Amino acid sequence: MVVKHNKKSMTGNDAASYAALFAKPKVVSAYPITPQTTIIEKLSQYVDEGKLDAEFIIVESEHSALAGCMGAAWSGVRTFTATSSQGLLYMAENVFWSGYGRLPIVMPVVNRCLAPGWSIYQDLQDSMAFRDAGWIQIYTKNNQEVFDTVLQAFRISEDKSIALPSMPCLDGFVISHTTAQVDLPSAEDSFNFVGEYSDPVIEVDTEKPWIFGGLVGPEKFIKDRTDLMEAMERAKKKIVDMNKELGEYFGRTYGNGLIEIYGDDVADLTIVSMGTIADEAQDAVDKLKEEGLSVNEMRVRTFRPFPEEDIVEFAKKNHKLLVIDRSVSFGHAGQLRIEIEAVLHRNKVDTSVEGRIMGLGGEDVPYTKIVAAAKEALRSRM
Amino acid sequence: MKVTQKDLLNIPKKALLKGHFACAGCGSTLAFRHAIGAISDKVILVVPASCASVYQGGGKGAAFNVPTINTAFAASDAVASGVRRAMKMKGLDDRKIVVWGGDGSGADIGIATEIGACDRQEDILHIIYSNNVYGNTGGQRSGDTMIGAKTATTPYGNTTPRKMVPFIMMANNARYVATASSGYLEDLVYKVKKAVSMTGFKLIQIDAPCPPNWRSDSADTVKIAQLAVKTGVWPLFEWDRETNIVEISRPSKKYEDMNNRVNLTEWTKLQGRLKTITEDQLKSLKDDTERQWNFIRKFM
Repeated sequence: MVVKHNKKSMTGNDAASYAALFAKPKVVSAYPITPQTTIIEKLSQYVDEGKLDAEFIIVESEHSALAGCMGAAWSGVRTFTATSSQGLLYMAENVFWSGYGRLPIVMPVVNRCLAPGWSIYQDLQDSMAFRDAGWIQIYTKNNQEVFDTVLQAFRISEDKSIALPSMPCLDGFVISHTTAQVDLPSAEDSFNFVGEYSDPVIEVDTEKPWIFGGLVGPEKFIKDRTDLMEAMERAKKKIVDMNKELGEYFGRTYGNGLIEIYGDDVADLTIVSMGTIADEAQDAVDKLKEEGLSVNEMRVRTFRPFPEEDIVEFAKKNHKLLVIDRSVSFGHAGQLRIEIEAVLHRNKVDTSVEGRIMGLGGEDVPYTKIVAAAKEALRSRM
Repeated sequence: MKVTQKDLLNIPKKALLKGHFACAGCGSTLAFRHAIGAISDKVILVVPASCASVYQGGGKGAAFNVPTINTAFAASDAVASGVRRAMKMKGLDDRKIVVWGGDGSGADIGIATEIGACDRQEDILHIIYSNNVYGNTGGQRSGDTMIGAKTATTPYGNTTPRKMVPFIMMANNARYVATASSGYLEDLVYKVKKAVSMTGFKLIQIDAPCPPNWRSDSADTVKIAQLAVKTGVWPLFEWDRETNIVEISRPSKKYEDMNNRVNLTEWTKLQGRLKTITEDQLKSLKDDTERQWNFIRKFM
């Protein structure tokens, strides 16, 4: 049975704060950075007003923000933080430490470009730099999905068979500071969806003198990393399950949780992208169809774990992919394109791939630009 | 709350078991055995990258017999803060959260994190065992290296004074600050027990001789630590925020008076790192020692 919702107008950051509030983390440890700031401001307010029974650690840096969450996660309590851009880079070693250390932390990343030059606007360069850090990365397309994904993230991360931190990603300003309608379930229903974190994946205490993160030889080290790889694999199924459960409980789904298809099942051209560009691409698909062109869209929602099977299955049926990246691996190409080409090659799929870099440094990417890019790609087909 | 030699044996359980990986004559493990042993039933350790991340051993043969979280170099005080807050939420306020790390993290890379935790009045105890160098990376200069000491990155002797972390923490409103020594274990244990009985951020800095990096005989560890006190180069004191008074600890009392101090060369001659100390450097080291005494005298 689908629960009741209230229609509310809120920014994407507010949606993230609401989700965190409803999930009842016990420790929030955070440091301000634009455009993430309003998420943690709201949470500090909730704690001070007694709406959220949690310890709020006002740390002196992002490095410590995540470290505080790590201490809490090691102690077996639910924990939350959020960051952006340079802040994410500043916490870098702890990002890897918590991923490889299997700590179930939920940390929305409000995507913002990296300096220099100074810019506070959105691209995906920040979180893309951490694709190898052992975090689950889910890229959202709108405010509603931010709320839903943050709730889901707790479930995914805190699953004992997974035990990985999660990074729900939302585009700076376009989502974070833009007010849109969100169907907000009650705090109680939201918490029921997430559930108590009663069986922690890890828990330090004096009764159990475990050593966490100590010396290991290559054998144990490789075993741990192999398990991390397998946990990522298990996370795929969990994300699909969470998507179904979200549908049953809240009446919404996002594709199959890993990828989301828009338009026809087969088309001459498939636009592939993530985040808000993917949302905008839906309008482009409609426009192109009006003009009699055959175009569909695949939004990659989950970037880590990378949904190889789903992408390959869809790409196989289609003729050409136009991959739009909002970030670059300098010296190579856009990360999404690189990875899609890799899985197609590995699976011997000969669907051709063309890449475009768009929207860096907060450049606006309206559907008209996507339409133009798609038309070019259609012309250069074969 | 005097601690006697007999009290050193009367501990809840051994904190350090057989098979640790420390070097022979390690001043840090000696201090660990007693300092952590004294509170071993309630302690949760947070260990930044340090010699302690190595000498704790690994796997089933690990020598630390207390729960231990290993963290990145600069992360320990923030991790400890997270543990403390989580314990509070779980109603486990009696747990003693202790950061055990060297001077590389405590005086250098982790100092912003440390001051941050102090600033927030986190209820944790940070113990710096100071071997005056980056120990397990092969003995490079740290912010806590003595003037004149040869290190891997100051091959002709360090020229700058020590960064006095205890004073920094006093200035940042810590609850309790003390110095201690591997050569005076009763005094060390007394201070550790006192510190964990208080709520707020506490710092104890221990002089921990390091035979491989100090080029000293492993049999001389205690002797060298005691001489550091007797020459005045390592004043033992404690400071309590509530009284804002520095109290010179018993082993150091006599040596506040310069006339009672053992000649500094008695201490330097036992250490290869200080064998080549020049007259100028020796004078600078003496000046720096006096600078420290003058600082703490202001609170006496």
